[in-house]
Amino acid sequence: MTQPHRQATETPVMPLLRVDKVNKHFGHNHVLRDVSLDVYCGQVQCVIGPSGSGKSTLLRCINWLEVPDGGYVYLDGQPVGYRWKGDALHEMKPAQLAVQRRRMGMVFQGFHLFPHKQVIENVTEGPIVVNGTDRDQAREEAMALLAKVGLAEKAEAYPEQLSGGQQQRVAIARSLAMKPDLMLFDEPTSALDPELVGDVLDVMRDLATDGMTMVVVTHEMAFAREVADQVVFMDEGCCVESGTPEELFGSPAEQRTRSFLARVQ
Amino acid sequence: MTVISRRTAGDSLVFRSAEGVRPVARRHPWWWIGGAVLVLLIASFIHLLVTNENMRWSVVASYLFDTEILSGLLTTIELTVLAMVIGLVLGVVIAIMRLSANPLFRTVSWLWLWFFRGVPPLVQLVFWFNLATLIPVLSIGIPFGPTFASWDTNTVITSFSAAILGLALTESAYAAEMIRAGIQAVSKGQTEAGLVVGMSQSQVLRRIVLPQALRIVIPPIGNDLISMLKFTSLVSVLATPDLLYSAQMIYSRNYQTIPLLLVATIWYLVLCTLLTLGQQQLERRLKAKRTTGTAVPTTKRLRFVPMGRA
Repeated sequence: MTQPHRQATETPVMPLLRVDKVNKHFGHNHVLRDVSLDVYCGQVQCVIGPSGSGKSTLLRCINWLEVPDGGYVYLDGQPVGYRWKGDALHEMKPAQLAVQRRRMGMVFQGFHLFPHKQVIENVTEGPIVVNGTDRDQAREEAMALLAKVGLAEKAEAYPEQLSGGQQQRVAIARSLAMKPDLMLFDEPTSALDPELVGDVLDVMRDLATDGMTMVVVTHEMAFAREVADQVVFMDEGCCVESGTPEELFGSPAEQRTRSFLARVQ
Repeated sequence: MTVISRRTAGDSLVFRSAEGVRPVARRHPWWWIGGAVLVLLIASFIHLLVTNENMRWSVVASYLFDTEILSGLLTTIELTVLAMVIGLVLGVVIAIMRLSANPLFRTVSWLWLWFFRGVPPLVQLVFWFNLATLIPVLSIGIPFGPTFASWDTNTVITSFSAAILGLALTESAYAAEMIRAGIQAVSKGQTEAGLVVGMSQSQVLRRIVLPQALRIVIPPIGNDLISMLKFTSLVSVLATPDLLYSAQMIYSRNYQTIPLLLVATIWYLVLCTLLTLGQQQLERRLKAKRTTGTAVPTTKRLRFVPMGRA
C-alpha cells in the first residue's frame, strides 16, 4: 500500500519536509549543527541517538516551537516561519505561522492533554476553535478517531482518569483531528510503563500503513527497524548518518553509530 | 566486628500466633484532658457573652433587621462585588502584561503593582474622593489632542465611586500577582500543545491556560474576597453608608455603641460564612468534574459541570 510512496525517495520529486542546514544554540550550547534531512510524502523517518544529541530540538525546530538560528525548514517548498515578498524573505505573523503549524501534528513525550477538558473535547478543541468546524460534525469525527485509537468508550473521561498509554493515544487522535500532512512524534513512548508501550506503537504502525508522513524521535529500535523507511542517527547535534533500516542497523558506516547501537541493542 | 543481627539469646524463640485474638485499641488520655480544658474555656466565654449586661442582646436583636442596617448591608455587598469584579478583570490584564514579551508592558504593569500595593487603601480612598481638587474636569479624548466628552469631576466622583476606585485598584494589584502565579503554574507543555494544533497565542491563553490558572487561584481569590468584604468597612471615612457606617450613625444617636457594633459583627460573620461555604462548594465542584469515575452515567455527571456548560 505504501509502496508508491516509498519509491518517492528514488525519483526527484519535492520533499514534503526539508530541513536545510538548521542550527540552534541555547546560550553557548550548540545544540544543532547544520542538520539537514528530507522527508517525502508517505515516508516514515525515525530519528535515533543518545539523549542530549538534539533529536527533540530538531523536531521542535521543524514546527517552530523553537526558532532555528540558522538554516531553514521547508514545508511543501515554502519556508516555515517566513514568507516571500518578491525576493525578500519576511518573518511571518503569528497567525500565518499557526496556519503552517496546523499542517504538522505533534505528539509530545509528556502527552500534554488539556486536563480541564474531557477526552472528546481534547480532540474536538482544534477543529472547533481553529477550523471553525461545526460542533456536531467535530464530535462525530472525533469519535471516529477515538475508535481508531481504541478509546471510543473513554470519550467522556477526563485525562487524569486514563493510563499514560491511553493518554498518549488520545494525544495522537487530537493531532489527527486537524488532518495534518505530517506527524511529528517526540519520544512518544519514553514516559510510558513498558506494558503500555505496545498499544501506542500499534497505533503509530497503523498510521504508517495508512500512508501518513511521520518523523519519529524514538528509543524503540525494534519499531524503527520495522516501520521506518529511513533512519537518521544523531549525535552531539550532528546528523551522523542516515539510511534504510537495513543499512543503518545492518552495516553502519560510522564508528559512533556502531557504538551507540551496540549500547542499546 | 560488624553486627549483622541484633537478636540476642534472651529473645523468645517461640512463635506465638495472634490469630483470633482481638487487639486492644490504643487509649488517648490526653485527648480527653485537652478537650476538657477547651470545653471549659469555651463555656466560660459563652457565659460571659450571655450574662454580660453591657452586651444588651435585646438591643442587638431589635437592630439586627433594622432598615438602615439592612440598606448598609446591601451597600457593603455591592461594594464588595463591584470592587472585586473590577479588580479581577484588571488583575488578569495586568498579569498578562507582566508576562508579556514586550518590555514596555512589563514595566508599566510593574509600576502599577508597585504603586497600588504600596499605597494603603485608606489613603487611596481619601485621595480619590478629593480628586476634584487635583483634576477639576474629567475628559475622554486623545492625549494632547482633541477631547470628545468631559464631565465635572465632582459629579463623577461620589463617595461610592471613590470607594470602588480605591478598593478595586488595590485589589487589581494583588489579584494580578496571584493570577500571574497561576498562569506560571500551568505547564509550558499546555501552551505548546495548544500551539501545535494551530491555535493563536490568544486562543491558547483564553481556552487552555487561563481556565487552568483560574482554577489554581480560586483558594487565594476566595481569601481575597473575604478580606475585601472587610476592607469595605474603610469607606465609612468617606461617609458612604455601608454596614459599619450605618451602625455608627445609629449609635451616634442612641449611644448603644457595643450592641450596634455587635450587629455589624454578626452581619460581617454571616457574609463571611456564606462566602467561605461558596468557595468550598466551587472548589468541590471543580474537583468533582475531573475525578468522577467513568462509571457514573453521563447525564448524572454533566450536572457537576460548572457555569452552566451542561
